[in-house]
Amino acid sequence: MPLISITLFIPLLAGVLILGVPKERPDIMKVIALVGSLLSLVGSVWLLFGLNWQRGGGLQWQEQTDWIPSLGASYHLAIDGISAPLIALSALLTVAVVIYSWQVKYRVKEYFFLFLLLETGLLGVFAAQDLLLFYLFFEVSLVPMYFIIGVWGGERRTYAAIKFFLYTRVGSLAMLLSFLALYLTTNPHTFDLPTIIKAQPFAGNYWGGSFVLLGLFLGFAIKLPAFPLHSWLPDAHVEAPTGGSVILAGALLKLGGYGFIRIGLPTIPQAFNDWAIVIIIIALISIIYGAGVALVQPDFKKLVAFSSINHMGYVLLGVGIGGIQAAPAAARLAALNGAVLQMISHGLITGALFFLVGFLYDRTHSHLIADYKGLWNTMPVYSGLTALAFFGSLGLPALSGFVAEFQVFLGTLAVYPWAAALALIGVIVTTAMFLWTLQRMFLGSPPTTQVSVLSQAVFEDSWDGMLDPASAPVATNQLPTSAVISTTLTIKRPQDVTATDTGNNVKNLPEIKRRELIAVVPLLILTVLIGIVPGPLIGLINAALTTAPLGPLAGLISAIAKAGGLH
Amino acid sequence: MQMDMSVELGKIVPELWLAMLVLILIPMSTFLPGGHKQPVTWFAIGGLATSLIPSAIYLGQPTRAAFGGTYLVDPFAIFLKLLCVVASMVVLLISLEHFRGWRAEGEISAMVVLATLGMELLAGSTNLILIALSLQIITVASYILVGMLKEEPRSGEAALKFFLFAATAGAVMLYGMSFIYGLTGSLSLIDIAQKLPGANLALVVLGLTLLLAGYGYEITIFPFHAWVPDTYQGAATPIAAFLSVGPKAAGLAVLVRTLLVAFPHELSAWPEVVAVSAAVTMTFGNIVALRQHDLKRLLAYSSIAQAGYLLMGVASAGRDPLGISGLLFYLVAYLFMNLGAFAVVTAIEQEKHSVELTAYQGLAREKPFLALSLTLFLLSLAGIPPLGGFIGKTILFGAALAANFWWLMLIAAINTAISLYYYAKVLAPMYLQPPAKSSQIDRELAERTNRLDAEPELLVSGVVSPILLATIGLVEIVTLLIGVFPELVLNMLRLAKQL
Repeated sequence: MPLISITLFIPLLAGVLILGVPKERPDIMKVIALVGSLLSLVGSVWLLFGLNWQRGGGLQWQEQTDWIPSLGASYHLAIDGISAPLIALSALLTVAVVIYSWQVKYRVKEYFFLFLLLETGLLGVFAAQDLLLFYLFFEVSLVPMYFIIGVWGGERRTYAAIKFFLYTRVGSLAMLLSFLALYLTTNPHTFDLPTIIKAQPFAGNYWGGSFVLLGLFLGFAIKLPAFPLHSWLPDAHVEAPTGGSVILAGALLKLGGYGFIRIGLPTIPQAFNDWAIVIIIIALISIIYGAGVALVQPDFKKLVAFSSINHMGYVLLGVGIGGIQAAPAAARLAALNGAVLQMISHGLITGALFFLVGFLYDRTHSHLIADYKGLWNTMPVYSGLTALAFFGSLGLPALSGFVAEFQVFLGTLAVYPWAAALALIGVIVTTAMFLWTLQRMFLGSPPTTQVSVLSQAVFEDSWDGMLDPASAPVATNQLPTSAVISTTLTIKRPQDVTATDTGNNVKNLPEIKRRELIAVVPLLILTVLIGIVPGPLIGLINAALTTAPLGPLAGLISAIAKAGGLH
Repeated sequence: MQMDMSVELGKIVPELWLAMLVLILIPMSTFLPGGHKQPVTWFAIGGLATSLIPSAIYLGQPTRAAFGGTYLVDPFAIFLKLLCVVASMVVLLISLEHFRGWRAEGEISAMVVLATLGMELLAGSTNLILIALSLQIITVASYILVGMLKEEPRSGEAALKFFLFAATAGAVMLYGMSFIYGLTGSLSLIDIAQKLPGANLALVVLGLTLLLAGYGYEITIFPFHAWVPDTYQGAATPIAAFLSVGPKAAGLAVLVRTLLVAFPHELSAWPEVVAVSAAVTMTFGNIVALRQHDLKRLLAYSSIAQAGYLLMGVASAGRDPLGISGLLFYLVAYLFMNLGAFAVVTAIEQEKHSVELTAYQGLAREKPFLALSLTLFLLSLAGIPPLGGFIGKTILFGAALAANFWWLMLIAAINTAISLYYYAKVLAPMYLQPPAKSSQIDRELAERTNRLDAEPELLVSGVVSPILLATIGLVEIVTLLIGVFPELVLNMLRLAKQL
């Protein structure tokens, strides 16, 4: 049974059905969207658990039929331990977005159609084993996002949408040229990815490989995004509607990291080895820059957006380390595994964070951090969930972010200790940023406008409380509310608290709704689950990384075999 | 001799059929009362469709030469004939309602068929004189089509500009042909190929360059594109659609044939020359298109840029088989997506009497079908999958790379990215802005009406006709099909690649 195709095209089918529903019945459209995305989620979970987890690496659920035989392109779909979790993630995020979007009233038909089309594109990219097919789905996922930002976005939506469109298009065209180079140098000409990997057309061709790498890097690093190709992201995120931001951060950014690991590393391993140091430096800049810029954002949504640049930097770092052929196999494996896990973890956590940002915005129509204060008093459940997401994002142990980042660090430490040390700066800044934000927005008492200086002792108390998400609400409740208003961190706040009108509004904010909970809680549960029991997922990813077609080029199979692992 | 003639004529049945059709169409329209001349157009469409049958039969047969080797019936020519006829049929379908009630309604279809005949002849010509003659047929028919809106001063201006330009380019081309004739003593492309290598290279280059001027204005190669924007803007929209597709396809066909047959072994480095003009043409077209607010002008510059992409295929054609595949595939895709875009513009013009970008504000709410169609056509022109333009561009990029024109491929990729900006500029108001305030449209409408007072019947009903909508839908489906199942076209090309 072509289960991948079914999972892939159910959303598109649902989308087309929605187009046929009369305008007066938005309820039917929503139900179709929900059913379609749910069915697709069921399919993707089935795919995930139907994998042979022992040999999760080998391509499974293979489907291959002729598509354009005269060009050597086929409709080749297959998944392994890397793509299956990402497919499930994308499907889950789409379901969550559909549930959250129940309130959408403006152009409902187009809204759900575009999200479902987007899902088909995303799942297709993760399942495609043919470069032309990969490119096709890659672009199919681009167009709906342009419209989602452009139609349902914020004030500067037109600008943000076109910037996003142009940026990613430049990247994908560069990528297409590299695909063509791979196609033309493989004899007989083919777009089939496993065949190209086997043929290694650029082995021993330094300049050829380097140019192919440049094209692929432009394509994937813009999507990721890595410094200095990131400038579309803050605009796109800030202007996108909540659902768009969730999918953008949760799934679309992953196309970049996935492309590096699925296409880049295996087809031109030599080039990745030669240019590893450049990739690592770009990754480190992204990590530190993303964290630093996030720290000074007065805008909650921008803060989360820039933290994404930081987090995706770890993915690139993992890719860079994973590409160094002289490095110990265990370190490379850890780095790559961490990169994949980071994509999944970031999808869950940042997806959740953008939801949470959106919930708040729905209530107050403000993204400004300075407009909020002491939210914990009025919205304890909401605040607890946000704190959990914050801790996941800053890499607290027992949450998924930690497992991922830890592995990347482990791999990096074995190869370039200095790089690990620099990356640590990013972690520290991120931690400070999230804790500071937690303080500014959630702690304290909402109606008070008086700004008082907090004693170091009290501040440290609250710090202890926050380290444990479970006890955090309790701990803060025990604090004298009047004391926890301001922070003692030396960083200057961009805008001083001038909470007057909004401050009063904050007092009356309604608690998180059931629909919102349904959208966001599964993501956070998975974050905790992966954090506590990362074993199976790590095993699955490792299996994929150490088996053909990904394994041989990374030189990982033999190394693991020597270590007495697989085979 | 009698026998011979009938055998020879048997090879050009489609051309004869079209010639007959023209002769029937011209008197036919005079017999019909004004306002009831639609049967003429339907008759022309039927006649064009019928001419596809003999062409299709020829497609399966081996290459044959006719009239002492001056005319070739090979799969390449037949494929282009099929293409041109389909293009003309689509154009007539688009113009069906647009010209209703015009005095010259019947003559339009006659002239379209005449131009189509010119294109068919051009696709098969292997003799310089025949090439010049066929080009003249196309050009003369086109003048008349452009100048048809004679009540509009802009139309007259467009026709005059086009005429002057075409006449000059044609004269220059004949001058170039005289050089080549002088050097080789022959007008046949095949003989020229044998005798050219011994000739003075400087004169060969000169002859070829002058020749390119003549082909260049049909294909709209920079700097021979200058007539395009004003002519498209001044001509009626369906006519602009016709000019943007048919003559371009025929011009490319004769260009490829001339270069590959008469100038083998890359004599006078023509691949480089064509590659450079491809790069310049696409870059110029795209950059100027960025600043257009009139959709017809925007599409005019876009079609210049598209000619640049097509030239990539010509430049690579001598070096890699992907070149011709890419050229022909892209030509097929371009035919449908460009005609589709012009068809939507025609529909909006009928509805709102404006071709300005402002008329497209909020179109997604008012006319979701037209908005969706235009979106598909423009995205296809921008090369976004899974539409026809994407596969075409991919093959052309691949051809350029395979032919060692990696710099051209890079320039084309950058151009493709630039072009997205102005295509998206058209999409943005349709989806991202609310419909224009009715007062504004009313005002524009009033202006238009005043201007057209002299000829009130020119003002069409204001409702988009179902035939036009059906045509748009059909073209849209084909554009999508070409992109999703490109093998269908590639299978046909496997034959047509043989020159």
